[in-house]
Amino acid sequence: MKFNEQKALEHIQQVEEKANEILTDRQEVIALDKRRNNDRVGMRALQKENCGKIWITIGSLLVKMPSKTAEELLVQDQRECDIEINKLRSNLKVKVNELRDLELNQPVPGLMLQPMSYQELSAIKQILGQNS
Amino acid sequence: MAAVSAAKCQEVREITRIERIGAHSHIRGLGLDDSLEPRHVSQGMVGQLMARRAAGVVLEMIKDGKIAGRAILLAGQPGTGKTAIAMGMAQALGMDTPFTSMAGSEIYSLEMSKTEALTQAIRKSIGVRIKEETEIIEGEVVEIQVDRPATGVGAKVGKLTLKTTEMETIYDLGNKMIDSLMKEKVQAGDVITIDKATGKINRLGRSFTRARDYDATGSQTRFVQCPEGELQKRKEVVHTVTLHEIDVINSRTHGFLALFSGDTGEIKSEVRDQINAKVAEWREEGKAEIVPGVLFIDEVHMLDIECFSFLNRALENEMAPVVIMATNRGITRIRGTNYKSPHGIPIDLLDRMIIVPTSPYQEKELKEILKIRCEEEDCEMADDALTVLTRIALETSLRYAIQLITTASLVSRRRKSMEVNIDDVKRVYSLFLDENRSTQFLKEYQDDFMFNEIQEPMEIS
Repeated sequence: MKFNEQKALEHIQQVEEKANEILTDRQEVIALDKRRNNDRVGMRALQKENCGKIWITIGSLLVKMPSKTAEELLVQDQRECDIEINKLRSNLKVKVNELRDLELNQPVPGLMLQPMSYQELSAIKQILGQNS
Repeated sequence: MAAVSAAKCQEVREITRIERIGAHSHIRGLGLDDSLEPRHVSQGMVGQLMARRAAGVVLEMIKDGKIAGRAILLAGQPGTGKTAIAMGMAQALGMDTPFTSMAGSEIYSLEMSKTEALTQAIRKSIGVRIKEETEIIEGEVVEIQVDRPATGVGAKVGKLTLKTTEMETIYDLGNKMIDSLMKEKVQAGDVITIDKATGKINRLGRSFTRARDYDATGSQTRFVQCPEGELQKRKEVVHTVTLHEIDVINSRTHGFLALFSGDTGEIKSEVRDQINAKVAEWREEGKAEIVPGVLFIDEVHMLDIECFSFLNRALENEMAPVVIMATNRGITRIRGTNYKSPHGIPIDLLDRMIIVPTSPYQEKELKEILKIRCEEEDCEMADDALTVLTRIALETSLRYAIQLITTASLVSRRRKSMEVNIDDVKRVYSLFLDENRSTQFLKEYQDDFMFNEIQEPMEIS
């Protein structure tokens, strides 16, 4: 009986840990998307303004730098965000399946499939009865 | 504004459908618990414990994809729940696994050869699982601002503010985007998605928080929650289509309209080969998964020897579904030959099958089934009437007793009673003959009927 309690506790802990990881990852994706969108808004603002040097905040610092460099910085940051988000999303899938495994559920069908290309999909959509 | 959105009624309107009550409409599943033990009365299934347990085991194997390319035979006397078990299996499999149900005699058609009909049935039972992935921007419109040039011509510029529960951002809009936003009549408070790849805008509905904006709204206005999470999402949808559906689309002469008219005619084998190759390619690339489904052939003794040998061969294919057959015949002639075989199925095919027997229902079980049917047909029945009906079911057949339920309830309604009593049942029992009494009657009055000479039983080839 004692043994069982211990085991159950361990199991619940595992499940909770995994679920927590998933939630943290989701929050991180949101934070990254926020940053990505801010970068985009910033870049647009830079393009509209065409003076040689601009003020930009990096962390808590307010720096004056040439707008060319600033734009490059933003582009680079955006790219990093993209990569990071994609990485998180692919890991999320694995984690969700691990969690389902812990909860003794079947893995989500078709989660690990490669997506169809756009052309292939438009053919398939005829079957599904939606034209787009 | 409300009038404008009312004019655009794209949404499918719900129509209350009046469904006819089928003979097995009360079946919701196999009625097994988690450890596959059959519950005595559950999900519309009664008794038949061994067969249900066997079906449950088979079902688990199907779900794990283990027994594709094998066949199961449900064998038993008429009215012992063979079709019910098959229906239960179909219900328990869920939406994702294709299930095709056909009767053995369906394959005899003038427009289609027997093998074509069987091939189509087999391909209808094999699913291909694919994934659709789209990058979308999904959010609630906070503000949409469009600046038109004063001259009226020239490029428009605009700004779109979108938010989710977590974040908010501003997009600068180009001419094209503004046009499509206008076309969709997007305004502040709408929840929209923008497809990143195509730029297509989709209006999901109005946000709940904006529900009080107008007093008069059209019935088509749908209210949705403000989306959660990030703005730029990756949406993944998994579809399951059957091989037959893909065949039909690619069978050029018909085009995809054939899918809806139901009559697809014959599909060339080249088309099928191409599809097979394509699906195999998708599988290699990890783009598709095969979902072996279930093909149920009722009255399988109606198939002839050609069909059996075709099935025999088809089961060996790597993409074969699980074939469940049902028959109520004992040792009988195989159709198309002069040989006798158990269940009217050739021995070599029989050898590949898992045979699940069903046995006649006991009196208690009959009563339960009749009770369930009464509920299904919205018919209140007195206890003693049910007992009488159970006796009738025991002495004649279950099907006859079930038919008496509807007729008895009509009779009771004629005398403005809500409940069916013994007299109603007796009345319809005397009105409608069961098979035994009908035979009796014919034997007695044989001489009064036309063409009454009894012919020698002829050998039908």
